[in-house]
Amino acid sequence: MFNIILALANKRDIPIGEAVNISVTGIVVVMLVLALLAVLVLLLSKGIRAVESAAKKRNGKKADSESAEAKPAEPSKPVGTALPESASAGDLDLYNVDEKTAAVIMAIVSNESGIPLNRLLFKSIKAIEK
Amino acid sequence: MSVVNAIVEIFQESGFMSLSWQNWVMILVSFGLLYLAIVKKFEPLLLLPIAFGMLLVNIYPDIMADPLMMSSYEGTVDPNAHWYDAGVLRLIYAGVKSSIFPCLIFMAVGAMTDFGPLLANPMSLLLGAAAQLGIYVAFMIAILSGGLPFFDGFTAKEAASIAIIGGADGPTAIWLTSQLAPHLLGPIAVAAYSYMALIPLIQPPIMKLLTTKKEREIKMDQLRTVSKAEKIIFPIVVTVLCVLILPSVAPLLGMLMLGNLFRESGVTDRLSDTAQNALCNIVTILLGVTVGATAEGKTFLDLKTIAIIIIGLLAFAFSTAGGVLFAKLLNVITRGKINPLIGSAGVSAVPMAARVSQVEGRKYNPSNFLLMHAMGPNVAGVIGSAVAAGFLLMTFGK
Repeated sequence: MFNIILALANKRDIPIGEAVNISVTGIVVVMLVLALLAVLVLLLSKGIRAVESAAKKRNGKKADSESAEAKPAEPSKPVGTALPESASAGDLDLYNVDEKTAAVIMAIVSNESGIPLNRLLFKSIKAIEK
Repeated sequence: MSVVNAIVEIFQESGFMSLSWQNWVMILVSFGLLYLAIVKKFEPLLLLPIAFGMLLVNIYPDIMADPLMMSSYEGTVDPNAHWYDAGVLRLIYAGVKSSIFPCLIFMAVGAMTDFGPLLANPMSLLLGAAAQLGIYVAFMIAILSGGLPFFDGFTAKEAASIAIIGGADGPTAIWLTSQLAPHLLGPIAVAAYSYMALIPLIQPPIMKLLTTKKEREIKMDQLRTVSKAEKIIFPIVVTVLCVLILPSVAPLLGMLMLGNLFRESGVTDRLSDTAQNALCNIVTILLGVTVGATAEGKTFLDLKTIAIIIIGLLAFAFSTAGGVLFAKLLNVITRGKINPLIGSAGVSAVPMAARVSQVEGRKYNPSNFLLMHAMGPNVAGVIGSAVAAGFLLMTFGK
C-alpha cells in the first residue's frame, strides 16, 4: 500500500491531497452557484408574479371604476313621427292572405312576443298550401 | 510498363498497403458506430458524422494532414507549406480548436431550450448540480490511475479534461479539452458523445439500483405556468451571476443564454429559427466530422484511450448516481413529493436523459408523467456542467 502511494506521489504532477481538495471544492462551487441561482430564480419569480398580480388588480379596479363612473348611453332619439302602438312600419306583401287574416297574424305575433306592433317590421305573409 | 506492373504499382500506393492495423481497427469501430447511429438510432445526428469522420481519416489519414503543425502534436513542420496545404478536415477543425463550434452549438441549444420547467421548480437547479458528482469522482480516478502498473497515468490537466465527460455535455467536453489537453480531444469527444448516445442503456440500471419501487411510483404535482417576463429575465440573470462568479464560463454560458434570449424575447424569431435549425445543423456536421477525424488509429489506439473510455463510463455512472441520490434526499425533505427518477436527468444530455426518466417512471406507474419534471434538472445540468468546466478551467488553465 505504501509503495503504491509512493509511486503515485512520484508520478503525479499534483499531490493527491490537492486533487481531493480540488474535487471537493469543485462540487461545492457548483452546488453553491446553482443554489444561489435557485434562490435568485425563486425571488425573481415571486417578484415578477407580485408585480403582475398587482398590475392585474389595478387594471381590474380601474376597469370597474371606469364602468361605474361611465354614464349609461342615452337612447338615440327617434327620427321622424312616432308610430301609434297599433300600427306597423314598412310595406307588407301578402300572398294568398286577405288583409283581415294578416292583421290577426300580426296581432298574435305582437302579443306572443311582447313587442308592440310599432316596433315590429313585417316583410311578407304567405299562406302555405297543404 | 506491363498491365501487371501497373496494377501492382496501383495496389502498392493504395490504402491497402499504407494503412496500419490500428487504422483497420478504427475502420471497424466506425462501422460499429455507423450501425448504432443508423440501425439503433442512438443520437444519429451526432454519431453518424462522428463515425464517418473516423472512417474517412482512417482510410485516408492525410485528410487531417497538418504540415504547419497548427494543431498537431506529432510530426514535423514543413517550412514551405501554406495554410491551404493542410488536409481539408484539418482546416475545418480550426472551428473546434478555437472553441467556435462548441460555443455556437451552445447558442443553438439555448435557442432550443425551454427553461420553463426549471423556473417553475427552482429546486431542479440543485439536482443539476448534484449530477455533476461524476466529474469530480472521475477526476480523482484519473489522477489515481497513475498508480496502476505499466500505466503512466494522466496529468492534472488531462484528468480534468477526462473528468468533464461526466457532465454528459459534448460541446462542454470539447471546449474544456481543447484548452487543457487538446491532444486528447479525439478520445474524449468520442467517449462523451458515445456515452450520451448510450444513456438509455447506462442510466436505467443505476436508477433502479438506487431507488425503491415505492419511490419510482411517486406521482408529482403539475408544474405552475411560468410567465413570459420570467423567461426573458432568466437568461440575463444567469449570465450576469455566473459570469461574474466564474468569468471563464462566459463563452459557453453566454452563448447558451444568448440563444435562449433569442427564443424568449419574442422579437428575434428569425435569429432564433436560424440558431435552432440552419446554424445548428451546419455546425453539427462540421463539428461531428472533424471530431470523428481526430480518431486516427495510430494516435487513438493506445492504453490512454482505453483508460479514458473506462473513466468516462464511471463518470457517467457517478453523475447519474449523484442526481438520483440527491433527488432521494429532496424527496425525504419534501415528504414524498419528488420522484427520485428525475434526479438522473441532471446529467445534461438534453433531452435524452429527461426522456429516460419519463420512460422509467411510466414503467412503474403508467399514469405518471415525469417528462416536464425531469426537464428542469436536465437543463439545470447544462448550466451545472458549464459551471464545473469553468471551475476546472479556472483551476488548471493557467
